[in-house]
Amino acid sequence: MAGEPGLRLVPSQDGVDVDALVARVALGDSAAFERLYDELSPSVFGVARRVVRDPARAEDVTQEVFLEVWRKASRFDRDLGKGKTWVMTIAHRRAVDAVRRNEAAKRTDQHAAPDEVSHDEPADSVIAAEEHGDVRDCLDTLTELQLESVRLAYFNGYTYNEVATLLEKPLPTIKTRMRDGLIRLRDCLEGAR
Amino acid sequence: MSTELHTLSGAYALDALSPEEASAFRKHLEACPACCQEVRELRSAAARMGAGEAVAPPPYLRTRVVEAANRTPQLPPRVTPIRAARASRWSPKLVAAAAAAVLVVGTAIGVGVTMGEPEEVPLATGVVEVFTASDARSVEVETTHGPLKVATSRSEGEMAVDTSSLVPLDEEHVYQVWTLVEGEPLPVVVLERPDTGAHMGMPAPGTQVAITVEPAGGSERPTTEPIAQLDPSTV
Repeated sequence: MAGEPGLRLVPSQDGVDVDALVARVALGDSAAFERLYDELSPSVFGVARRVVRDPARAEDVTQEVFLEVWRKASRFDRDLGKGKTWVMTIAHRRAVDAVRRNEAAKRTDQHAAPDEVSHDEPADSVIAAEEHGDVRDCLDTLTELQLESVRLAYFNGYTYNEVATLLEKPLPTIKTRMRDGLIRLRDCLEGAR
Repeated sequence: MSTELHTLSGAYALDALSPEEASAFRKHLEACPACCQEVRELRSAAARMGAGEAVAPPPYLRTRVVEAANRTPQLPPRVTPIRAARASRWSPKLVAAAAAAVLVVGTAIGVGVTMGEPEEVPLATGVVEVFTASDARSVEVETTHGPLKVATSRSEGEMAVDTSSLVPLDEEHVYQVWTLVEGEPLPVVVLERPDTGAHMGMPAPGTQVAITVEPAGGSERPTTEPIAQLDPSTV
């Protein structure tokens, strides 16, 4: 196992068994927790940064997420899904909560440069590239309205009500576009494996 | 179940519902295994979309997170009686008080016995049992924090509170249930997850049950006015 923090020899896609790590975290295994952090923090921080925009707040969200994972690891049930999905679900919810708590500030921030993130990040961008490629290819299979609905909700933290207003579409339309879009993404990603 | 609700699965998986809608949808999920499966799959797709944005966090964050975790107690596994589950995390004084409350109300409190998705903890099964008992009596109370449902069942000898429709609190606050015996508040349970609700032995007649908002972790004595207070024997 990787004893040295910061030294990552294994790319995300193969090797590391996140589910097994979560199971060990549930037993209070700090080393497993550190490995889990190394494995998933780029994904968690990445989604937090996209949603909350401000890197400092994204760091806070990332910390909240991993503390929740630490606290609740015993509640994770691998029969009900993958560990990585579990962690990313927590990450997204926390990021969205952070944005909604600070709605006014965020909305006025909207027109500021969205991606002004300072620190460099080459290693993990490379590691994530393959996954990113599959996701991007699959997102291309969505209709424009499906894609817009899904992205505004997921990456901007808008409710489907807000998305409907923004896109000037009826609520039921947005509701079904979100579902159909995700179904299409799911089916495509399954095929891409 | 209604297709109306069912089509919200996408918005739900994207965390794009209001708290009220999300709570209604979670109720729908309890009764719809196929919907649970769909939500899991859509979440997995959404998670991969999110993971496609991976960026390394600054190195100092790792130290910060690991140190914070070392100071943070872990939750016990699910399906744990309250006495065992909470005792280790409460101060000895509080444990004594909680034990007193348990004595007063007669039986142990059950929380966290859950069904469904891992992080989507719906009402505890014990709570559902009270609400669905053949002789269940229930009442909905409007509070400043949303509707609260209370049920009692003589055959089960229990009362239950469904707190899943109360407004979610921020990280710094929790709902806490108390019994008031001759005006003296005794802590019963801290609701880490209001959507699980709580159930307890039927208190002696004349015992009031109250819910307050407390700082995270709960309090030894109420620090705020109750958002709801009632005598369960009058339900």
